[in-house]
Amino acid sequence: MVVLRDGRKLIGTLRSFDQFANLVLQDTIERIYVGNCYGDIPRGIFLIRGENVVLLGEIDLDKEERTNLREIPVEEVLVAQREEMEAKQRLEKIR
Amino acid sequence: MLPLSLLHTAAGHPLLVELKNGETFNGHLVNCDNWMNLTLREVIQTSPDGDRFWRLPECYIRGNTIKYLNVPEEIVDMVKEEEIKARQARRGRENGYNNRGRGQNRGRGGQNYRGGGGQRGGGPASGNRA
Repeated sequence: MVVLRDGRKLIGTLRSFDQFANLVLQDTIERIYVGNCYGDIPRGIFLIRGENVVLLGEIDLDKEERTNLREIPVEEVLVAQREEMEAKQRLEKIR
Repeated sequence: MLPLSLLHTAAGHPLLVELKNGETFNGHLVNCDNWMNLTLREVIQTSPDGDRFWRLPECYIRGNTIKYLNVPEEIVDMVKEEEIKARQARRGRENGYNNRGRGQNRGRGGQNYRGGGGQRGGGPASGNRA
């Protein structure tokens, strides 16, 4: 799983990299987390410019099976994400 | 295969570029260089909010503004064929140099050429046999 500076979480197979940490991910999905649910969007092949990567790590497939998170359809997770953003913006405005 | 070589292989194919500011560019890759600067043709530019669209016959994107690129699946198959061709070309070249006679090749030797093709983009980080 790769986390980008804009907060996106991309999960895919790392095919190659170079000295700038540019990455090639295959069969990538973008996973959006809201609360204790998540939704996956299939994305195909990504070439990520290294400077946009915050971190990456190998996914432990055994732990993945034991996760407490629910998978929900993409449309629902996008709606939930938008609501979460709007709530945050309202909090920011109040500050 | 190294990321930048994958990009070179993708020339002529449609791809999506997202910039750091969130704008997206959908178009056919004309050319790219070692700094990831790109030229695209028949481009659809979308604003970060996704509400405004422009159509550009061609455009130039500076590499350091890119967040990521999305390339079509077929590129991976093309990459494999390119690697096979490159390996054959390298073997052909090495055989040619070996046949020239030991005396002339003493200075150069085989070792300079063996890693020459593979290390174009990455020195220490070339642990990728993808």
